[in-house]
Amino acid sequence: MLTAILCALALGYAVLRVAIGYPDPRRHYHRLGRGEVALISSAAEAMYPAGGPIPSSGLDADLPDYLERLMTASRLQTRILLHLLFFLVEHGTLLFPTPGRGGMRRFSSQDIEQRVAALDGWAESTLFVRRLVFTSLRAVLTMGYFAYPPVVRRLGLAPLAIESPICEADLLYPRIGEKPESIGMTAADLTPPSEGIPLPQDGPLHPGFAEPGA
Amino acid sequence: MEPGQLRVFAQYDRDLTLEADAVVVGSGPAGAVVAKELTDAGKSVVLVEEGPPFVPAEYEFDGGLSMARTMREGGLRTTSGTVMPTMQAVALGGGSLVNSAICNRAPAFILDRWCSDFELERTTRADLDPHYEAVAKFLGIAVTPENVLGRRNLLFRDGCDALGYHCEPMYRNVRGCRGSGECFTGCRSRAKQSMDISYIPAALRGGARVLTSVRIERVLAERWRATGVAGRVVTPFTGRPSHQVRIHAKLVVLAAGCTATPVLLQKSGNLANRSGQVGENLQFHPGVAIMGIFPELVNPRFGATQGYQSRHFLREGFKLETLWAPPAITAVRLPGSGMALKNRLADIPYSAIWDGIAVCNRSIGRVRVRRRSMDPILSWKLHPADVSVLAQALWVLSQIFFAAGARTIVPGVHGIAPELHSLEEAEVLRDRPIRATDLVLAGNHVFCTTRMHGDARLGVVDEMGRCHDFENLYIADTGIFPQCPAVNPMWTGMALAHRSAQQIAQQI
Ligand SMILES: Cc1cc2nc3c(=O)[nH]c(=O)nc-3n(C[C@H](O)[C@H](O)[C@H](O)COP(=O)(O)OP(=O)(O)OC[C@H]3O[C@@H](n4cnc5c(N)ncnc54)[C@H](O)[C@@H]3O)c2cc1C
Ligand code: SF4
Repeated sequence: MLTAILCALALGYAVLRVAIGYPDPRRHYHRLGRGEVALISSAAEAMYPAGGPIPSSGLDADLPDYLERLMTASRLQTRILLHLLFFLVEHGTLLFPTPGRGGMRRFSSQDIEQRVAALDGWAESTLFVRRLVFTSLRAVLTMGYFAYPPVVRRLGLAPLAIESPICEADLLYPRIGEKPESIGMTAADLTPPSEGIPLPQDGPLHPGFAEPGA
Repeated sequence: MEPGQLRVFAQYDRDLTLEADAVVVGSGPAGAVVAKELTDAGKSVVLVEEGPPFVPAEYEFDGGLSMARTMREGGLRTTSGTVMPTMQAVALGGGSLVNSAICNRAPAFILDRWCSDFELERTTRADLDPHYEAVAKFLGIAVTPENVLGRRNLLFRDGCDALGYHCEPMYRNVRGCRGSGECFTGCRSRAKQSMDISYIPAALRGGARVLTSVRIERVLAERWRATGVAGRVVTPFTGRPSHQVRIHAKLVVLAAGCTATPVLLQKSGNLANRSGQVGENLQFHPGVAIMGIFPELVNPRFGATQGYQSRHFLREGFKLETLWAPPAITAVRLPGSGMALKNRLADIPYSAIWDGIAVCNRSIGRVRVRRRSMDPILSWKLHPADVSVLAQALWVLSQIFFAAGARTIVPGVHGIAPELHSLEEAEVLRDRPIRATDLVLAGNHVFCTTRMHGDARLGVVDEMGRCHDFENLYIADTGIFPQCPAVNPMWTGMALAHRSAQQIAQQI
């Protein structure tokens, strides 16, 4: 009887912890749950706080949006791994509580100092698996942060505009998902191949990264 | 389907059966060479590739999205045992679409060792040189011009020169490089001569039929003869299977890559495996890297992706190179979180990354099959003696950085300070014992899972790539290497494929 009560309590706690009390996200996500959106935003804020040499913060970079895109482009197996990663970070505080009051609360419910301390705990752990979780989380967040044009512009790393020469292969391969009829180019459209002129570093940026209105 | 036609996913509307002299599975560097050489010899060829063709409009700058689209398991494939990421492309052109185009011939002393240790008779450097030459001529393999090297490559040269370490600009299969440093996500300048813009169009011109988005799932065989291959059309990126595809051929060439070919053989009833060596002997050429921060602006966005190398330490077991990747992937290396991490990110414009890749012949693994999937299970363990070689590579890299004027290096080794500010501080890399799990490893050069051996009991193929058990079944990918070639493998893989193609053309 006691075991049954304890199991029921544990189950109730698990449901509360995993599913209840998350804020409504700003938009609808197909691939991410509400808890995951909260976790990603809160981890992004701790990983990339506002200010410093790169003004944009992790929150500005809208990392849930990036992860939604990444997951949409990924296969089921990868998506499962990412869900698992988010779960581990969000609820890992049960196994590895953050120092201070309420250190066992969900990662996304902790205040910013605690979240920074929690991340440091994962990063500096003597357990290889814990460090691996941290490195994986930082990797996906960093990719999202760098997908935000103001960040790479600020660092002078935004891709430059390049006009691709039209070569024989461009007459053979359509865009993915389309038929060859969509190519709409003939041998007359071929252009001379690259002459190897170094890219001028003060040239225009790729349109996807250019300053709005530039 | 007419000779010289290519089919893409949107064109399949029913099951498909074809006949040919030869079917080649996999359009990476090895398969593309075989397909082109056989069509040149007047044979009818079907080249089958699971991935789609990518044109520049499809390239993604973002490292994560790019990997999700061009790499197996979204670029997240890792080994178990010693956990190490390993990337294999799934695209027309295979690894050549995303690689840095570095071309090195295997050193003579390595090929001599292959010959003596694996009972090979015709695989010396002198035997392979004509095949290296043929590939070089077709692809325009040439030294990287000075004007597109950029500072992060030239600083490496300066550091090596100061220390008296021999170094040189890379030979690459590139025509007209502009120094965009984007080889990993696809060359927008169409300068990199990846297979999709070089060998495959040439094969099509010669009359090859090319099926993209078709995954071969079985090699068909009757007694000791291969009769063709069977598979399914697969949707790009999701891999969802649809129509059946069957190709009957007089001869089958597997060039699906070192991790995929053994799976294909095992899923085909453990074919060509009387030796028990299929999927065994898995070897990598793992790499470790250091980021160095310089006092002056380096502007790493500019320069050939990997433009300089040092083969000074090849006999000690490692090779050193410059490296660049999409900024996000570069940033992933940086330690810490919060404002400390942001401060380090702000150093990227002042930084260069250089890597060391090590021969790890003592670190052996295997490829096993998964149920209901063509993805492999890769188990592999880094041997402590090979960890020492990698640690030595890190120590030499740190010397080169400080000799080139770096103010700080970021070694990325667990248990060692995240930043080291002088050579004296960096001595910890030489003196402290380092374990495999302390290192951030990557292993994109993969070999030996269907190795060549003169003795049919000890290898899967002979030195021409023909399976010991099957007269008309060949393997051409880097799985046939008996050991790590000590340098980047693509050119050697293509030279071996070129040689196999000559024998195959005579056989059919
Ligand atoms: C990021 C990266 C950078 C690299 N840089 C360099 C470099 O600069 N220089 C160098 O020498 N090497 C480099 N390499 C390694 C090099 O690219 C590989 O060694 C080379 O591509 C191997 O050629 P391959 O033909 O054996 O196999 P792959 O290139 O792997 O080609 C195999 C092809 O077969 C297809 N395939 C697999 N299974 C099936 C199936 N069942 N049905 C149909 N098709 C299938 C795959 O989709 C793939 O296209 C790099 C690798 C990576 C990942
Ligand atoms: S560095 Fe840029 S231009 Fe040169 S081959 Fe690579 S992607 Fe092409």
